[in-house]
Amino acid sequence: MSLQTTQPETELTCEYRGKKAPLFRVVLLNALLTVLTLGFYRFWAKTRVRRYFWSATAPGGDPLEYTGNGLEKLLGFLIAVAFLAIYLGIFQLLLGFAGLSLFSGGTGTQDKALQLLLAQATLLAIIPFVFYAQYRARRYILSRTRWRGIRFGVDSAAWGYVWRAMGHWFLVILSLGLLLPRKTFWLEKYKIDRTWYGNARFVQGGNWPMLYRAMRHIFLAVGLFVVGLSLMFLQGAVSMKALASGDALAAAAFALYVLPLFLLCSLWFSYGYVYYSVTSFRLLAEKKQLGDSVSFATAPGPWRIFWRYIFGMLLTLLCVALVMILAAFVGGIFGYSNINLDANITSALMTLDPLEIAYAVFVYLLIMGLFGVFMTIFITHPILGHYVAKTRILNADALHDIEQRSRDEMVEAEGFADALDVGAAI
Amino acid sequence: MFETEVTGKLYDGQSARAHSVVVTVCDHKGSPALEIAQTDQACLYWPTLDLRELSDQARNEGIVLQLAGDNPARLIIPHGHAEDVIRQISPLLGKRDVQKSMLRKLMLWGAGAVASVVLILLVILPAMSDQLATMIPPEREAALGRTSLKQIEKFLSKSGKTLTCRNKAGVAALDKMVARLSEGADIPFDLNVQVFRHPMLNAFAVPGGNIVIFEGLIKASDTPEEVAGVLAHEIGHVFAHDPTRLTLRSAGSAGILGMVFGDFAGGFAALVITERLINASYAQDAEAGADSYAHGVLRKSGLPSAPFGDFFEKLKKKYGDKQGLMSHLASHPNLTGRAKAARAASTVSDANFEPILSKREWQDLRGICS
Repeated sequence: MSLQTTQPETELTCEYRGKKAPLFRVVLLNALLTVLTLGFYRFWAKTRVRRYFWSATAPGGDPLEYTGNGLEKLLGFLIAVAFLAIYLGIFQLLLGFAGLSLFSGGTGTQDKALQLLLAQATLLAIIPFVFYAQYRARRYILSRTRWRGIRFGVDSAAWGYVWRAMGHWFLVILSLGLLLPRKTFWLEKYKIDRTWYGNARFVQGGNWPMLYRAMRHIFLAVGLFVVGLSLMFLQGAVSMKALASGDALAAAAFALYVLPLFLLCSLWFSYGYVYYSVTSFRLLAEKKQLGDSVSFATAPGPWRIFWRYIFGMLLTLLCVALVMILAAFVGGIFGYSNINLDANITSALMTLDPLEIAYAVFVYLLIMGLFGVFMTIFITHPILGHYVAKTRILNADALHDIEQRSRDEMVEAEGFADALDVGAAI
Repeated sequence: MFETEVTGKLYDGQSARAHSVVVTVCDHKGSPALEIAQTDQACLYWPTLDLRELSDQARNEGIVLQLAGDNPARLIIPHGHAEDVIRQISPLLGKRDVQKSMLRKLMLWGAGAVASVVLILLVILPAMSDQLATMIPPEREAALGRTSLKQIEKFLSKSGKTLTCRNKAGVAALDKMVARLSEGADIPFDLNVQVFRHPMLNAFAVPGGNIVIFEGLIKASDTPEEVAGVLAHEIGHVFAHDPTRLTLRSAGSAGILGMVFGDFAGGFAALVITERLINASYAQDAEAGADSYAHGVLRKSGLPSAPFGDFFEKLKKKYGDKQGLMSHLASHPNLTGRAKAARAASTVSDANFEPILSKREWQDLRGICS
């Protein structure tokens, strides 16, 4: 193994060194320990997975390093719970009270709308914290990330992010998604302009209309659906009147025509969504700059990533199904049958034999845990690998002049994200 | 010791530049250390006791060393003989260093988090929901009760037909019973008592003064006083706004435990059991309250409470009693205890009282669903 250094480097390619087998060992052990500790191992589990993925990502042959640890994540979580429990409890109770007080007993639309509104109101109470938590989680993760011994860092500006994110999302919803690129760009710019590598700052260049290119397939999928639907009515294949009057023949014709159209368009739409996230990532990365001259190039393939998702999902389902069959077989040996947990778990708990319950709960938890395990192996791992391998750092010579930044203590770690379960994917 | 020196790569933690260094083992101030020599800089000395290795690494270029504490410098030694030597002479490579102040903070905030959850679940939510339950306008509460009654009926009815029994003579007998039991009591609602055509041995109250008795309970009772005991118990729930209080409490506590136990997979079982425990302790309090309210009503109406006790014995015989761990999970207190308490509360002799219904009326009530 050569350890040559200081060769002239103007362009760095990124290597991805992750392998399925060692990663599988890490995530499987994590899943088991998380189940056995009733979820408390999750802070360490996430830390270990990050350590692995970070060390597998090696720009210019030097891996990233994740320096976070489980204890500080646990501490951050405890701090978040201490604050959120009381806030959420009182807020939800008051909402419940408002719901009962305004309830008029009818099953009319007005009552249904009211109840829907109140259910959404709980969400509204959490939303500011969700954005707050996401910004803080990103700050925590980057403050615990090093490359070549130099820390990354993020300015503490979470509340500024909260109201911007809420405003941008409001506009996106109001414009039926048309302003999505604007949201993507400005929130990314807010985050990137406050991100540092050592003493060098990142800057997000470009403008938001440039991201409309990435919306192409979303527009096409929606457009096809609208055009197809209007053609059907215009051509008179199905008359709106017959449909409204409940004509069975019209309904059948409608279903026969609309169902395939809908399936096609929703598949296309989900490709459009992946296309958007991949392409906007590329367009934004190409306009990022670190310090005075370091820039980036990346070429991830949307089509490839889309199929990775689909294929990975199928593989995951297949593996989980195999485990379920095995578990049912083992359960059959012990004579545990007729365990039906989906209907009403609490009443089932009351009447079943404790051993059966223990087995059923264990299998249930194992299966939920295995979903995470297989998805990490079959989806996260290959997609991360693809992104990393397709990315290059340009004008990398300037990196040598970058110097260390001081440590960002951040006692709260990403506790709010853990408490609200809105953390990063890895 | 190394046969020869080894060339490694050093990131000094000050700049992003990689330094090629020559590493040897030496004796520094009386203890073994790695001497790290750079061309144009002073030598670094890393004591072997302070060496730590990075774990969970996907990289394969060599062993990655750091110093204990938060020193950002990293030394990479290629795999081979030198690595083996370093592993031999550095006993604490795999040690995790935890600061004392970290443990103190963990204890402090752990206690804070537990206190906060306990405070909200066991103090603030019960107190607030007890208070708020009395502030909901009665007509709203009655409307809510009617709706949930309709939903329960839909859920229980297999054919989709109404379950309410409307035999005239039976309804008259039931009304007579209700009138005697609620006489002079300060009940916040007009009572709406009905019988459902269903074999279950049970009765329940929903918000707004709505009470339902199942036909199975009436059929299983030997005397009208047994039914009267159960009815008095349900009136006790109505009197104390129990259905509304419990609805409000669970609205407040929903989600808090989910937050504590985190993701769906790991915390799900703990979540179900804990939620069940908390709701059960809320509910058991309410049940005990309704029982003692029922004892009072029976006494005031000049009725014996022993038949109420008999009813619990029947329940026990049919469904069994919950013992040990399971009794804490059940929403109702232990049946043997309740039967005993009901008997002990009796002030009226079993033989000498004015029956709540005549023989004829009792037969009418039993036939309310015919």
